[in-house]
Amino acid sequence: MSHSDISAGPDTSPGQAHSRRGAIALAGLLAALLVIPLVIDNAFVSHIFITICLFAALSTAWNIVGGFAGQMSLGHAMFYGIGAYVGMILFQIGISPWLGMFAGAAVAALVGMVISYPCFRLKGPFFTLASIAFLEVMRVLALQFTSVTGGATGMMIDLRLGWTWMVFRERWPSLLIVFGMLLITLAVAWAIRRSRLGFHLVATRERESAAKAAGVRTVRVRLIAVAISSALCAMLGTFHAMYLTFIEPAAMFSLVFSIQIAMFALIGGIGTVTGPLLGAVLLVPITEWARASLGSSALGLHGFVYGMVLIMFVLFMPNGIMSVIKRFITPKPPTDEPTTTETGPISAPAKAAEAPSPDRAGIGSDILRVEGLNKNFGGLAVTRDVNFTLREGEILGMIGPNGAGKTTVFNMISGFLAQDSGTVSLRGPDGQFHQPNNPADFAALGLGRTFQIVQPFAAMSVEENIMVGAFHRHHDEKNAREAARQTAWKMGLGPLLQAEARGLTIGGLKRLEVARVMAMEPRVLLLDEVMAGINQTDVRRAIDLMLSIRDGGVSIIAIEHVMQAVMSLSDRVIVLASGEVIAQGRPQDVVRDPQVIEAYLGKEFADAHA
Amino acid sequence: MTTFLQIITNGLMLGGLFAIVAIGLTLIFGIVKVVNFAHGEFLMVGMFLTWMITTRMGLHPFASVILVVPAMFVLGALTQRLLIQPLMGAEDDHVQIFATVGLSTALMNLALLTYGADIANTPTFGLRAPIELGPVRILTGQLYIFLAAIALVIALQLFLKNSQTGRAIRAVAQHRVAAELMGVNVPRIYILSFGLGAACVGLAAVLIAPLYPTSSNIGTYFVLTAFVVVVLGGLGSIPGAFFGAMVIGIVDSAAGYYIGSGLREAVVFGLFLVILILRPSGLFGKRMTLSHLS
Repeated sequence: MSHSDISAGPDTSPGQAHSRRGAIALAGLLAALLVIPLVIDNAFVSHIFITICLFAALSTAWNIVGGFAGQMSLGHAMFYGIGAYVGMILFQIGISPWLGMFAGAAVAALVGMVISYPCFRLKGPFFTLASIAFLEVMRVLALQFTSVTGGATGMMIDLRLGWTWMVFRERWPSLLIVFGMLLITLAVAWAIRRSRLGFHLVATRERESAAKAAGVRTVRVRLIAVAISSALCAMLGTFHAMYLTFIEPAAMFSLVFSIQIAMFALIGGIGTVTGPLLGAVLLVPITEWARASLGSSALGLHGFVYGMVLIMFVLFMPNGIMSVIKRFITPKPPTDEPTTTETGPISAPAKAAEAPSPDRAGIGSDILRVEGLNKNFGGLAVTRDVNFTLREGEILGMIGPNGAGKTTVFNMISGFLAQDSGTVSLRGPDGQFHQPNNPADFAALGLGRTFQIVQPFAAMSVEENIMVGAFHRHHDEKNAREAARQTAWKMGLGPLLQAEARGLTIGGLKRLEVARVMAMEPRVLLLDEVMAGINQTDVRRAIDLMLSIRDGGVSIIAIEHVMQAVMSLSDRVIVLASGEVIAQGRPQDVVRDPQVIEAYLGKEFADAHA
Repeated sequence: MTTFLQIITNGLMLGGLFAIVAIGLTLIFGIVKVVNFAHGEFLMVGMFLTWMITTRMGLHPFASVILVVPAMFVLGALTQRLLIQPLMGAEDDHVQIFATVGLSTALMNLALLTYGADIANTPTFGLRAPIELGPVRILTGQLYIFLAAIALVIALQLFLKNSQTGRAIRAVAQHRVAAELMGVNVPRIYILSFGLGAACVGLAAVLIAPLYPTSSNIGTYFVLTAFVVVVLGGLGSIPGAFFGAMVIGIVDSAAGYYIGSGLREAVVFGLFLVILILRPSGLFGKRMTLSHLS
């Protein structure tokens, strides 16, 4: 997705002015939402403002799942409806909606998590379809279980007035309540967006596998997002039920209502904190006014307007109003400081390193043990009985012709692919060997990896990309940002910190890949062809960098085709061919091994040499 | 036994109805790779057109096919050209979802605005007359729909397999860029395919209009089931959609009788969710169409 508004960090000086101006505008807008209806004191005006606040809050809550996590739900009315019904049913047996609202939130959060869990593997429109189907099921159930919900006739509250019952003769108390709920929802969304959770959600949305490699528990973070979002919608549902005093399945579990919730977010700016609020503020008054003034003479007019507005926004402003506002208020970079697109040099101390050798001082005991690893894809044996160990502080080069199974081995020793048989044991910081089975557990034990085909979080800036890695060690946003910056400068990405990842060259993306994993401060590092496609000077620098990483106590396995690097870096080399380890040992010895020559160049060549 | 036979027959007839609505949807999905949330509204537009032509000109509803099908083709082609094509390059799913959702909302409410909330009854011309087939009874119109669905599946298969255009369409469906490199005019194929899908639903509209009252929200009633059918049959597979429709028809009919008419929707959608989650390539998906999985 092409929107993220976290780049304006609190400590960038132009960003600070920008965000302060934004905060003032937001405060003004919110104040107007409250003050205007209180001053005008007209029932209809108050009703419109209550509706604005309600939709703005629902849409903001939707955005946590639909925007941050990128799960396009069109079933969110379900949670609103659950809140309305739970609140209403408890009201009837004499429990105040102030308590009922939390009961509804709990039920909705639970339902949300249970139904979302199996749906997360569905992508794009299919997640949307599933969410619509769940909404339909819910509506039919509400219609059927008449004894609980009152069925198609709906439920009407007994008139019990006052703050305890959240039912009032005047409009202003309802306005106060819904305004307060809007503030809370906005605060929650804002806090999530800046937090580790927010970064994890956006990273998962942008590139799930890379997020997993960075130690993000992708399912868990999305379940948390769903729970928060549904709970907030349910609380708003309880409020609205008390405000309407009458509920029925057709209105509470309505697809049209769901679409509206999502629509305000789209129009304001999906994935931004204040976008949904803007969308609701702009659109609700127009349609409410049209509905009231034209009435039944223009049945369907407001729906038609909604539909056309949606189409127009999708076609001409798919990132919403916020993207346009941002373009206007983001200060242009000063002209004397041209925006650079060049990466800086990798800063690694060039030094006469000790010659690599399997028995070099500084190599410790085993840290990763791979035993009897087998994997078949259908009838094809991709790896056969692969055994090797990695020792602490060692660089192990992994070479082999294309299709030898190198990347498959990487996938199995980082938890991305389950082996058919065999074990992968990793020594944790506690000194014990563990056998993790998923990427997040591998990451938790201190294993980091890169991908051969680079996997940037396209819509995030370079800094934010690295921050996702840094959040693995730092829980606080400020520390993660600081750590990310240091890593970026070390990797020569300093000048590009604020650039969007999608604009980087392939060399830049390769560096970003390494920077992100370095920010995780791994103990074991798996590098998959990080030198491919970078120029000669940078290869030299990258070699120095890897040596300095190694000297920092990190154990490295590197798949590499750049022989210059393999020869000068590796303490040991293992050679894979057709899924089997055919040789391992010192680099100088391995490249002379006739079996290795045969694997790369064919039998005749090996014979000719022998 | 007679009851059971009647339930199965009703199921098959219902299946024919679902099939003819779903074929266009699966065609568009299979080729253009867009889930058209406005498909139900296309059906609704087609039904209103049939109703107008039949009542204004006093023709047999089936005669309106010569106007409705081309009109729907144009509507579909325009949708692709003006709404979907500009968004083909968008990286985000939500853009295309909202585009067709917006179109659906706009069309539905435009119909409400134009025709009001009343239902429009297309003259039946004897299509609601029951015929006896051994122990079971069906409506004449239902039988026509069933037969038309079979004919449409066969015709589309022949067209896609044997004609030059059909081959080009299949090439685009397999790999858009490769087809483009082979000299296929991809945007034109997309416009044609979207038009074709809409024309199929136009045919469905003509056949359905005499049997069901037309209203602005009739599309929603059919389209959700059509989505179920398409997923069940394996996305983009035309014969799959047909057999998926038969399964859903029988399940719907049996659930209506044995569980209760109120809950049959819940049964159908429950089945849909189970299949979507457990077997996303569909019950009949031989080729794994996993474009919707991560």
